[in-house]
Amino acid sequence: MPIYAPTLPPAPDLHQGQPPALVLMRFDFARLWRQKIGRFFGFAFLMMLLWKVARIYVDHLLQTNQAFRSVQDFARTILSQGADFQADLLNPASYLLWFMVALVGGGLVARDTLYRVRPLMYAHPVAPKDYLLAKLGFASALPFAILLPFALLPWLMSLVLAGTSGPVWVTAPLRLLPAMALSSVLMGSLAVGASSMAATPRAGIGWVLGLVLGTGTLASMIHGLTGLQAIDALNPILLAETWPQLFVGVEHPMVAWLPAILGTALHIGLWTFVAARRTRPSEVVI
Amino acid sequence: MISLDRASLRYGPILGLSPTTFELPDGGGITGLLGPNGAGKSSLLQLLSGLLPPSGGEVRVFGEAPFRNATVLSRLGLVPEGDRLPSGLRADRWLRMMAELSGLSGEGLKVAVVRVLDVVGMADRGHLTFARMSKGMRQRIRLAQALMHEPELLILDEPFNGLDPEARLTLMALLRDLAEKGTRILVSSHILGEIAQLTDRILLLFRGRLLAEGSVPEIRQLLDRHPVELRLTGEAQALARWAVEQPELAALRMEEGAVVISVRSPRDILPRLQKAAAEGGLPIRAMDPLDLNLDAVFQYLTKDHA
Repeated sequence: MPIYAPTLPPAPDLHQGQPPALVLMRFDFARLWRQKIGRFFGFAFLMMLLWKVARIYVDHLLQTNQAFRSVQDFARTILSQGADFQADLLNPASYLLWFMVALVGGGLVARDTLYRVRPLMYAHPVAPKDYLLAKLGFASALPFAILLPFALLPWLMSLVLAGTSGPVWVTAPLRLLPAMALSSVLMGSLAVGASSMAATPRAGIGWVLGLVLGTGTLASMIHGLTGLQAIDALNPILLAETWPQLFVGVEHPMVAWLPAILGTALHIGLWTFVAARRTRPSEVVI
Repeated sequence: MISLDRASLRYGPILGLSPTTFELPDGGGITGLLGPNGAGKSSLLQLLSGLLPPSGGEVRVFGEAPFRNATVLSRLGLVPEGDRLPSGLRADRWLRMMAELSGLSGEGLKVAVVRVLDVVGMADRGHLTFARMSKGMRQRIRLAQALMHEPELLILDEPFNGLDPEARLTLMALLRDLAEKGTRILVSSHILGEIAQLTDRILLLFRGRLLAEGSVPEIRQLLDRHPVELRLTGEAQALARWAVEQPELAALRMEEGAVVISVRSPRDILPRLQKAAAEGGLPIRAMDPLDLNLDAVFQYLTKDHA
């Protein structure tokens, strides 16, 4: 016979913690922090950052130290201080950063699919939009956090060493931060959308790389066939590199403003839509 | 606590659960959800745990529709089928995250993790990664994540799959203990023995339809198309002579040293059998009901509806 108890013990105090999306994001960051892959990329990006900072310091020495007077003209030639130089501060936004986004972001949703974690989460007070927001937030915040010191440290150093006449514009962060935000959201949405289509984390990495390189190749082919340069806006790698150029006002950006806006909106919209469809409760199986 | 009013679930053109109506009362206790593979058990659990909305009808848990309802979800715990968990993760870290998703924080969260690891018998093994855990240990952690917020309703989908006999018994003891403390438990299985060991109260599903609800004797009584079989052991000839005089007799077959009778109304015949044996007029040594168990009930019901 079933056993009936008259009353239940007092319920614990719920609804005291952080929003579910924030909890999930923190969990993903903590997991990445403990993984070797995080240390590898941390080291690689640190080296690149140190190189950039050292370059500004050498530039400063060449400008100010009389002992280097003989090479000053040469230095002015190789150490550009124009818009191209400002946009180039974010050059990790190219292949290494995309590779990292693929390795980390490819498993974000796919791992939960493989281990059937989503039914567990959705059986808690976690809405699908919380889950999606957490994954998109993590996948976008990660490249943004990596790019942040590339925008701020050289600027700060330039400001300290040479004031307003340094190699990095005083207004550079105002131009670079929105560009970084757009590039990061582009990367994050593509990674999460691709990961949601995969059944395993490894397949997720393949999906991200396949989509990034595949759309890039497709765009190049169509460009080659039609001569239409605007079609390059389908290439996510080019888009991520273009945004800093557009914001700092490079004379000949890789993609013009309108195609860049349309291409970025298309990618973010499409991959967010795919991820939202693939992480609905009806897609989970108990 | 739970009520379904003609609730159904469709997966596109496929009917997962036919319009189903039943109620489970408040308070603790274990109810077994029984049915073969594909019977609709998981569909029913998906509806109850708020993962999917019903395609038709109404589902209410704690008086409210559970689909995307945080109030309801914070009062129930779900242990889905399967034992896979991210291999590199430590169990205690995983539990902390799940507790935070339930709204716990600070000291309450720490206490909950320690308490729940103790409840599932994993107090000294919470620091292990899932890769280093046995199937039974992982199943206990899955149960632990559903108990973190002390739910009033605990839903388990095939929790005994893949467990060795010892782990099964441990888990059953744990569920009985939780039920005694006031948790309502709904546990699904396609294995009759598991449910029979755990509870007497069942919901029987077959091909997406709820066939029966209640205790095994209650359901058995309703199956009047199938007379109850009793084996009377003793002097077979004398027992057969007595049996044929009974108006409830539907069939009789002789065995060596025993007679098996089928009777339509065992409640009427049993007092007379008892009286005759007590007066010494009936040479009977033993009586065994052959089809009053869950296995027989299940066979009859599924055969009738096949």
